[in-house]
Amino acid sequence: MRALFKLAWQDLRGSGQSLWVLCACLALGVTLIAATGGLYRQVSEGLLADSRELSGGDLQVHARAPLPEPVLQWMNATGIVSLVTELDTMMGTMAGAFQLVELQSVDDNYPLYGELTLSPNLPLSTVTGKGNENGNGLWGIAVDPVFGQRLAITPGDRVEIGQLEFEVRAFITQQPDRSLSANWRGAPVMIAADGLKASGLLLPSSRIDYEYRVRTSQTPDAWQSDFFAAFPNSEWEVRSFLDQSDRIAERLSQVASGLLIIGFSTLFIGGLGVYNSVQAYLQGKLGTIATLRAVGLRDNRLAAVYLLQILIMSGLSCLVGALLGFFIALAGAALTATQVQVETAVLSAVLPCLIAFVFGILTALTFSFPAIGRALSVNPAALFRALDGVETQTPAAWWRATAVGVLLIVGLVLLVLPDGLFALAFTGAVAGLLLLLEGIVRLIRRGALRLDQRPGVRRHFALHLAMANLHRHGSALRASLLTLGSALTLLVACTIVVATLIDTIANTIPDESPTLILYDIADYQQPEIVETLQNEGASRIDIAPLVQGRLATVNGESLSASSNIERQREARDEHKLTYRSGNIDGVAMVQGKWWDEDLQGTAAVVMEDREANQLGLRVGDQLVFDIEGRPLEAVMTGIYRQKGLQTRFWFEAIFSDGALDPFISRYVGAGYMSAEQAISAQTVIAQNSPNVVTVRTATLLATAEDLLGKAMAGLALVAAVALTVSLLVLTGVMATNRSRQVYYSTILHALGTRLSVIRQSLNMEYLLLALVTSVFSLVLGTLIAVPLLVFQLKLPLEFPVWPALITAFGVSAVCLSLGARYLMRRLTLQPAILLRGN
Amino acid sequence: MITLREVQMNYPLEQGEVQVLQEVNLTIQPGESAAVVGPSGSGKTTLLLLLAGLDQPTTGSIEIEGTRISSLSADEMADLRRDRIGIIFQSFHLIPSLSAIGNVTLPLEIAGDPDALDKAREMLNRVGLNHRMEHYPNQLSGGEQQRVAIARALVHQPPLILADEPTGNLDKNTGASVSDLLFDLHDNLGTTLVMVTHDPQMAMRCDRQLHLDEGKLIEKMHEQADARSV
Repeated sequence: MRALFKLAWQDLRGSGQSLWVLCACLALGVTLIAATGGLYRQVSEGLLADSRELSGGDLQVHARAPLPEPVLQWMNATGIVSLVTELDTMMGTMAGAFQLVELQSVDDNYPLYGELTLSPNLPLSTVTGKGNENGNGLWGIAVDPVFGQRLAITPGDRVEIGQLEFEVRAFITQQPDRSLSANWRGAPVMIAADGLKASGLLLPSSRIDYEYRVRTSQTPDAWQSDFFAAFPNSEWEVRSFLDQSDRIAERLSQVASGLLIIGFSTLFIGGLGVYNSVQAYLQGKLGTIATLRAVGLRDNRLAAVYLLQILIMSGLSCLVGALLGFFIALAGAALTATQVQVETAVLSAVLPCLIAFVFGILTALTFSFPAIGRALSVNPAALFRALDGVETQTPAAWWRATAVGVLLIVGLVLLVLPDGLFALAFTGAVAGLLLLLEGIVRLIRRGALRLDQRPGVRRHFALHLAMANLHRHGSALRASLLTLGSALTLLVACTIVVATLIDTIANTIPDESPTLILYDIADYQQPEIVETLQNEGASRIDIAPLVQGRLATVNGESLSASSNIERQREARDEHKLTYRSGNIDGVAMVQGKWWDEDLQGTAAVVMEDREANQLGLRVGDQLVFDIEGRPLEAVMTGIYRQKGLQTRFWFEAIFSDGALDPFISRYVGAGYMSAEQAISAQTVIAQNSPNVVTVRTATLLATAEDLLGKAMAGLALVAAVALTVSLLVLTGVMATNRSRQVYYSTILHALGTRLSVIRQSLNMEYLLLALVTSVFSLVLGTLIAVPLLVFQLKLPLEFPVWPALITAFGVSAVCLSLGARYLMRRLTLQPAILLRGN
Repeated sequence: MITLREVQMNYPLEQGEVQVLQEVNLTIQPGESAAVVGPSGSGKTTLLLLLAGLDQPTTGSIEIEGTRISSLSADEMADLRRDRIGIIFQSFHLIPSLSAIGNVTLPLEIAGDPDALDKAREMLNRVGLNHRMEHYPNQLSGGEQQRVAIARALVHQPPLILADEPTGNLDKNTGASVSDLLFDLHDNLGTTLVMVTHDPQMAMRCDRQLHLDEGKLIEKMHEQADARSV
């Protein structure tokens, strides 16, 4: 064994440039996988942590009464539970001003994520506790600072809530779960649970919300399913943290899918780099192998020598690649730390590097099997003839070993990537892609051969040479086209997905968004509110009715009795219903259409796409809504999509005019004005219409913008790293595949072909290859991206022409021109080497 | 006519500069055959490289038919090889992805000869490989490969043939038959032949024997024991 190792090492040391090319390709492939894997992990974890913090927990169980003890026991066994009790009530100041507020009492576990900060910086229990006998003996509260400013109250002031006087002891400067909450009602007032009891507001008739936040190590979906399975007949609403802010959640989930697609693609492209470099290295070793066989080295020992070489090389190169990837991931995250608040935790980047390392070695070994097997089939007699073009064949045993290796790689891919089904579909798509490319290779060969047989072409030597390079036996066409074509197709698909996603994220928050949102406007208050907003300088005012109701039946089938679990879940949720006129949310029809203007008879309704898709609704379905115990029947004429995040409203159904009239008791509204005007309007409305809840959207929009900005920057960063390193890998592969062409061109030059003619023929060949791969990858990349966008990411089809074109033509041009440049540089070598027998 | 004047060739190495050819003066008349002989490392292949314009001398000048080749660009030198020179390599250097006829056609195609195929067939016929035209190099024996290489070197009827140990990789019988072929073609076509060889028999068949030793060229006259510098 020692002797074999020595031989393997000596042969490796004497391999010169080919060894470095192999090592560089191997290391780059592994760098690509490790860097994108590490970045993917860090960006995803960073975004997940941010989203959880903004939502207050992984899940939330909402109930109108305290949950029974067995339920609480079950929940405590599956995670950490924090109860937030919420109640709407009026709060009065000593000056006689009254305002609707939302009382919140929290337990010791609050907040489950993030940090609550108060000013002055005191513990919440101290702020909300009852004063001792030496003090005033009052319970304390913490209030929103802008709200406090509006009512002119500061810490130390007293206010009335229910039957008791409370002391304002602090302002809430940061409350992690408020920013993106879709459940704001009044200004938040934090109060102790015992203080709330003492206020006398907890009456049997009081509308109290019990929100049990859960922090769990399980996935939200799994926890939700287990909960429903454990308590099948409950009516509690369970929402994951992603449901708390629908549009943001949708975008983050799309970003995660986008990152996943990039991850798969880089894994494949990195694998291609490793495969090609191993093949090229062993091809160059045919002579040495034949010589070693000729001098009596047995096949199994010879195989051991080359397997040892591959292990040594791949081990060292993969280590370098994994380390490079690790540092790129850390540096990338650190560089953009101002935009992407990713945790540059070393641990997040370590696992992807380990996976990349194992993947690199496994790929190198697996794909060295057929090459070693083939190399071992070289008859030493070839040494006496010509090694170039010698017939070799991989023995069946080596193919079996390759098959086992491939299975291990697929197993590793399925194991480490988060979506097994998607991984399988991706593998299938790549296999189909390679088959298609094989067909194209044959077509090009046939076409080039036919063209080459034409007298006109044969007279033009450079063209003849270019055609011959494409069709002749052993040409680099297959390796170039299969590698570049498949990699480029995936890069184009990724570009289309990423560009569409970035465009969608950028448009999620429109340029013009309302700055003030109004709830609970009574019918008679509408003129007054509109007048106030106009006086404050609002450029636009929208007022729309808000009716809440549950979807009871679909085509006569009761949702609560449905065998479909989604329908059962949906039966628990209250939907927000409205009219089209004055609708604040921008919507776009994606299926069906709006009703006719002269609609008569049964009411018509259009549903929001997420609800419709979850319930499996189709245009034409007969729906019955349950609104405060009364049924409302309507025909579904279409499905719409929310254009972007504008307000907290998320109307799930829009009815034809008049249908909701019997149920309308309140309205919602939105005012478009400056942030300062919004504060002023808020104060006026609080004085004149204290029952109307007003919320400024500045924080919501800023938070959403911040989170989406991070997501977009993270996605762009991963995509940029993936594209750059892919480019390097592909350029390396192009150069490796073409090394034989240097030899052929040198012979031609020695026979009297001008270098300019050789260059011309290479340019023609590369130009044709660039054109074919670009067009092919553009078409197939689009075909792959379309279902990804529609089914995986659920995004509208807006083909980003320029990014796709630039990627397709740019990458192929850069890879092929750098490959050609490498070839040209080597062609400047004197053909004298031929005479020297090298 | 080939003329070398005061040609010197140095190769830079890590250990220092190595002088491969020293003040070589040589004139070869059209139609002559000259064998370059000498021990390994004496500069035989370097001399051939310089004649083929595949390398440039450190000092001195080389003229082929009145053209000073050191003043030619790479493309002009390629044109000269295309039109005036045929090279036969010791290791054949056939293009493995081309058949025998494809390899022989190559120089004619490079020159844009419209009758390339016919001429290549005829030449393969002359070297006795009419039954092997569609075979690829790896399907041919060593002798057959060298005959293809000779056909490729002669098919465009160049006035100058440069051969680097054309029988060095062949057995005695095959070598003899290839040697016969080469000299027959040389006689019939009237080409100038400069051949590097270790084979005294082949060297004897040439009009002149040029002996290289440590970079110095000595011409051995046939049936003469003494030597004279040229």
